[in-house]
Amino acid sequence: MISINSVSFRYPGSENWVLKEASVDIEQGEFTAIIGGNGAGKSTLCKTLNGLIPSYYVGDFEGTVMVDGLNAATTSVAVLSEKVAYVYQDFENQLVRPTVLDEAIFSPLNFGYPDYMERGREALRILGLSHLEKEHIWQLSGGQKHLVALAGALSLQPEILIIDEPVAQLDPAHATELYDKLKMLNEEYNKTIIVIEHHTEFIANYCSSVIMMEQGSVLWKKPVKYGLSLVEELMDKNIHPPQVTQAMFQLKREQKPKLFPITVQEAKAEIQGKYEILPGPHLFSSQVSQVKGVETISMDGVDYGYKTITRKRKPIINELSLTCYEGEKIALVGSNGAGKSTLLKMISGLVKPQGGSMLVNGQSTSKLSMEQLAEKVAYIYQNPEEMFIEDSIYKDIDYFLKARKIADRREFIEEIIQRFHLEELRERDGRLLSGGQQRRASLAIGIAMKPSIVLLDEPTASLDIATRKDMMKMLNNLNGFVKTAIVATHDMELVAEWASRVIVLKGGIILDDTTPHTLFSNPALLREASLVAPQIVTLSKEVNMYPAAITTEEFLSRVKQVGVGGGSVECVSKAL
Amino acid sequence: MLNVFQKLFSKLSVENIKIELMRTAYGTEETVLSRLDPRMLIVWSLFFTTVPWFIHNMTILIGLAVLMGVLAYMARVSPLLIVLLIIGVISQFTYLIFVALFLGGTFTALLAVIPLTIKIMIISLSSMAVFTSMDPEKFSDALLSFGVPGKFSFGVSYGYRMLPILIEEYQSIIQSFRLRGKMPAKKGILYWRYIVYFLKISVLAFYPMMLNTAKRTRTTVEALEIRGFSYSEENDLAKKLKLKALKMNKYDYQFVAITSVITICIINIGMFYPL
Repeated sequence: MISINSVSFRYPGSENWVLKEASVDIEQGEFTAIIGGNGAGKSTLCKTLNGLIPSYYVGDFEGTVMVDGLNAATTSVAVLSEKVAYVYQDFENQLVRPTVLDEAIFSPLNFGYPDYMERGREALRILGLSHLEKEHIWQLSGGQKHLVALAGALSLQPEILIIDEPVAQLDPAHATELYDKLKMLNEEYNKTIIVIEHHTEFIANYCSSVIMMEQGSVLWKKPVKYGLSLVEELMDKNIHPPQVTQAMFQLKREQKPKLFPITVQEAKAEIQGKYEILPGPHLFSSQVSQVKGVETISMDGVDYGYKTITRKRKPIINELSLTCYEGEKIALVGSNGAGKSTLLKMISGLVKPQGGSMLVNGQSTSKLSMEQLAEKVAYIYQNPEEMFIEDSIYKDIDYFLKARKIADRREFIEEIIQRFHLEELRERDGRLLSGGQQRRASLAIGIAMKPSIVLLDEPTASLDIATRKDMMKMLNNLNGFVKTAIVATHDMELVAEWASRVIVLKGGIILDDTTPHTLFSNPALLREASLVAPQIVTLSKEVNMYPAAITTEEFLSRVKQVGVGGGSVECVSKAL
Repeated sequence: MLNVFQKLFSKLSVENIKIELMRTAYGTEETVLSRLDPRMLIVWSLFFTTVPWFIHNMTILIGLAVLMGVLAYMARVSPLLIVLLIIGVISQFTYLIFVALFLGGTFTALLAVIPLTIKIMIISLSSMAVFTSMDPEKFSDALLSFGVPGKFSFGVSYGYRMLPILIEEYQSIIQSFRLRGKMPAKKGILYWRYIVYFLKISVLAFYPMMLNTAKRTRTTVEALEIRGFSYSEENDLAKKLKLKALKMNKYDYQFVAITSVITICIINIGMFYPL
C-alpha cells in the first residue's frame, strides 16, 4: 500500500535534514504506530504520504514515496488527499466550519461529490456522532471535537488514515473509546491506520506493528510484540514500554528472554504459578491521615453554571463542599466536562461562585479581586501559551514581581530559572518553545509568584515521556514552596505516583474523596467517573494482589519468584 | 436609577456579551425569518436600508420603523443589541441638544434631527433582524451565488467560526494579565486609575492573542489544502453543488408579498396623512 524508499527532506535554507534516508513499507489493512522522541521526524514522514511534502512545503526532497501505486512526490495533494486522510494533533485548528454536519461534508463537497451529504452523514454515523449533527463545533467537548475531525477525514472514504497523537487531550475512557473506533475502522472497513503515539499501552492493545524513528530515519519496523519487548532500547530513547512490560522486564532480568508480555493478559499468564504475591499494607493504613494541618481552602455549597447559546443555564458545579489542608497534594479527576477546570478557576478567583461560600486562607474569594487572590494562589493554565504575555521567559517570570515593585528580585528570578532549567530559554519567546519547555516555563512563572496554593490544569497533557518525567520531578519538589497543590488531570499514572488525596468529580458533584489506592481498587467508582486505572493496577487485580499495587515499583516489591529468596527482586525494585 | 444601571452593568459580563454576539451571529433559533432564502433576505434588507434615505414623509418613516420593530421582535433580536441601539439614540440626542444650546440655537433644531434618527433606526432594525436570522453558512452561500469569489465567502464563514475562539483566547489572556498584575491601590476620581489599568491590559492583550492565533493558522492552512479547499477553488463543482441547495419557495414569496403590501399601505397612509 505504502512504500517509502530512502526518503530525505530538508526545509529550504535549513542545514538539517528532517528526514534522512527513511525507508519503510506499510501493507494494506495494517494498524501501525510510529514512535520516537521529539524531533524524530514522525509527522514529517507522514506528511510525505499526502504530498504536503514536497508539493506544499517545497524543499530538498530525495527518494520515492509510493502510495497505492502513485508516486506521491509528483501527484497533486488533492488526488492524494482522497486516499490519505490526516488528523492533526492540534485537531481543533483543522475544524473550519461552524457546525458538525458542515464539517463532515466539507471535503466531499470541495471535491465535488454529488452525494456529499450522504458521505458526511455516513462518516458521522460510523463514529456515532449523528445526534450531534446540528451542534456548533465550539460548544462541543474536546473528545467530541476530535471525533468530528476524524469524521471530516473519513467522509472522503480514504484508504489510509493518519492520526497524530490521538489521545493526548482525552480522558482515559474517551481515549479507549477513540481507539475502539479506530480498531473498528481497521477491522470492519479495512482501513490502513497509522498513529503517532507516545502511549505504548494503546500500541500494545491495538496496533499490529510499530515503527521506530530517530533523527529522521526509520530504525526498524517490527510486529508490535517484538518492538515493545526491546525494553532497554526504548527506555534509552525515552519511550516507556507498557507498565506490565517494564515490570516483567525487571522480574526476568536474569533470564534475558527475547520477548516480554505487552498486555495484562499475557503478563498474567507469565506470573501465575511462577511468582508468589506478597501481602501489601492494609488499605486503611494509607488512608488520609486523621491529623490535619491548617485549612487553606474551604468551600461550602458552592454553585456555578454558565449560559449556553440558547440562554439556558448549564450547571457545572452543584452545591459542592470541600476543605483542603496544608501539606496536601490533591488530584482532581473525572471525565471531560466533570467540572475540574471550573473548580480550579473558582479557587483562583477567575470565576466567582454563584452560590455558597468559598474561602481561601480564610478570606471569601467574592470579596477579593483576581489580583489580590493571585498573591496567594497561582493558577497554571492548561494551555501554557495563554500565560506568555511578554516577549521573553525572563520578563514573563518577572511580570508579577515587577508589578509589585519587589526590590532585589533579580537574584530570586535567577534561582527560579535555575530550578526549572530555563537558563538557555530565558531570552526566548515562550510561544516559540516546544510543548515540554512551555510547560516548564509556565510552572516557573507560577512558582515565582511565591504562592501558598498552586493549581495546575492538566500539567502532563500531550507531553512526551521524558518531559513528563521531568514534570513529575518538579511537582514532587513543590513541597516547601507551596502549602497546598491541586492538580486537575486525566493522567492516572500521575495520580498514582504523586497524589496524597484524590477528589473524584462527576457532573459537578464529588463522587468520592479518597486516596489513590482506594480509588484504583474500586472498579464501580472508576467506571462511574469514566476513569481507567493504570495498567499495573489491572495486572495486580488479575493476579489477585490485594490491595492492588498502583505503581510499577510497588508491584515489583510485592512479587517473589516461587522457590527463590526475596532478595533479587527486592534489589531490582530498589534499583528502579 | 442607580439600581437600574447596576443591574444593567451586572449583565454586561464578558460571558453574556459573548453569548449574545454568538446568538446574533449564528441565528440559532427557528424564527419566522430564519427559514427564508438568504439571497432574498439580503436583497430585501438592501431595499430597506436604501429606501428610507429618499423618504421625507414622517408618517411613512414612523410606519416603517414600527414594521421593522415588529420584524426585529419576530426575529428575536438580542436584547443586548436593542439596548445598545437605544443607548446610541439617546446619547446622540443628548449631545445634539448640548451642541444646539451651545451654539445658541433653539430646540427647534432638534426637530430636524428626528427624521434622521428614525431613518437610522429603520436601517439598524432591519439589518439586525436579517442578520440574526441568517446563519453564517447561508450568508456565505448567498454571497457565493451573487458572484463573490469563493475565497471571500469562505472567509466570511470562517470568521464566524473563529469568533468564539478569539473571544475566549482574548478573555484568558486578559485574565493572565490580571492574575499576575496589580490593581492600582487607589481608585482615583471617577475610578480613573482603574479605567486606565483595564484599558492598558485590554490593549496589551491583543498582541499575545494575535501571535497565538497566527501560530494556529499553520495547521488550518495545511488542513484546508488536504481537505480540497484549493481544489474547489479551481473547479466549479463545489460551487454548483452548494448553490443547488438554495431555492426560493412558496414561503419566500409569501414573505415578500406580505411585507410589500404592508409597505405600500404605509406609503399610502403617509401620502394622505402626512405629519
